Amino acid sequence: MDTPTADRIPCTQQAIAVLWPSFIVAIVASGVFFSAFNPKDLVPFNLDIDISPLAAYSIGFLLFWIIAIVSSLGTHYFTISNRRFLRKQGP
Amino acid sequence: MQAQPANNDGNPLYAAHKKIYPREAHGRFARLRVLSLLTLLGIYYLTPLLQWDGRQAILFDLPARKFYLFGLTLWPQDFIYLAGLLILAGLALFFFTALLGRVWCGYACPQTVWTEAYLWMERKIEGNRSQQMKLDKAPISAAKIRTKALKHTVWIAFSLWTGFTFVAYFTPIDVLANNLFNGNLGPWELFWILFYSFATYGNAGFMREQVCMYMCPYARFQSAMFDSDTLIVAYHPERGEARGSRRRGVDPKTVGLGDCIDCNVCVQVCPTGIDIRDGLQYECIACSACIDACDEIMDKMSYPRGLIRYTTENSSKGNPQHILRPRILVYATILLVLCGALLTHVSQRVALDLDVIRDRNTLYRETRDGLIENVYTLKILNMDSASHRYTLRADGIDGLKLVTDRPELEVAAGSVHETVVRLQADEFNLEQRSVPVRFHLQALDANHLSIIEEARFVGPGKS
Repeated sequence: MDTPTADRIPCTQQAIAVLWPSFIVAIVASGVFFSAFNPKDLVPFNLDIDISPLAAYSIGFLLFWIIAIVSSLGTHYFTISNRRFLRKQGP
Repeated sequence: MQAQPANNDGNPLYAAHKKIYPREAHGRFARLRVLSLLTLLGIYYLTPLLQWDGRQAILFDLPARKFYLFGLTLWPQDFIYLAGLLILAGLALFFFTALLGRVWCGYACPQTVWTEAYLWMERKIEGNRSQQMKLDKAPISAAKIRTKALKHTVWIAFSLWTGFTFVAYFTPIDVLANNLFNGNLGPWELFWILFYSFATYGNAGFMREQVCMYMCPYARFQSAMFDSDTLIVAYHPERGEARGSRRRGVDPKTVGLGDCIDCNVCVQVCPTGIDIRDGLQYECIACSACIDACDEIMDKMSYPRGLIRYTTENSSKGNPQHILRPRILVYATILLVLCGALLTHVSQRVALDLDVIRDRNTLYRETRDGLIENVYTLKILNMDSASHRYTLRADGIDGLKLVTDRPELEVAAGSVHETVVRLQADEFNLEQRSVPVRFHLQALDANHLSIIEEARFVGPGKS
């Protein structure tokens, strides 16, 4: 029985498998995070920045998304390389 | 059929995509679906236009960190209600799945709703299924480019309207419309309008059934809620087989055939491109288009309807049917208990909050009269929609004195008032180094608006 490998799964579907779960996680994470913390009270690294609340929430969300994307990419990479390794080992 | 990569169970998964051209279905379930789609789209596009007390009725006001829900104003502290609501929605999905199968997928899921809307626009512009297929196969011509350009323009316009409406849940719609027409749209508002529009355009215009097959977590685990009494869309093989074409008016039994004339219309109407006659499949979103299509054919052949129908595994096998069964009762009980708890909690919610912060610089000091004094900063949060006057008192230590500039505090609706108060106590009455004290805040004009907040009073301790 064939198992799907990176070379068989279309690129778009691989991209979605990484982008989509991380998107959902980013929504939950920013929801919980920003309920607890007001971006107005958070001054990262003592930087003197003045941005609108919408910008702060948006950047926060995108940062969460990037973090989750990195994690999903890791999972994706290890899954694919494990399959290649197992295939090389034979049944 | 060409070989497809398959997963371990042999189901085709991650197949190369072939465009599906669903044929339009007519009938009672199609009408029901259109009614449901129009209602849901109406709710989505019209809700931001609703007004309540001079403001938008439903608004997530991010800069002010408030969520307006008609008469209710929720603060970040009330996040628990939103979480509760989401859990409730999840449980309701379980309950309805166990009872009615994938009705959510077929009639209410945004993916279905917007896909149907985009399919409708596509049909209006490119024509029916065979005209669409012909157009796609045709070589590039001015007419083809014109038709395609028109379709994408209409799709993009509808997507932009969808994106605009989405952002209007976060920025009041009148402000947003004003900014848009005056060219004052903020960069992030523009970003989110475009982001949401792009997602709508992609999901409803192109990805369609692939979202259900590859991206939807519910589609993967919904079968866990299924049992033999769950409503499913199924073909009746005993009645339909052996399938085959025949002339109208011929009794199928005389030619050794069942009721299925193998016209393939059920496959053509399927938005996920499956053949329902192969049995229950996880791609099936129970949209019931094949039921309507088959009923139409049965009518034409003067056969009874229902060769493809809503049924349950038990009833199709002739077993007794159970609507009330342990699974349903358990889901219903949990749902009712949680619903009741959430409603009680919301109705008992006190629209008042008090934060007590002890002065961090000095633990305590001694007054001229020899009393021990602690300083506190109080943050009074009036979450009500009217302004109120409050009185404050403190207890916990014998003879505890509250020293404040103002005996009465006025806090405007939906705002925070900060005030500094001092507590004084006789060292003689302090049992330990740190004693718990309680602040009582009471609205003068509303009895139910009262709150008690604990704090620590620090002294030198018994030596």
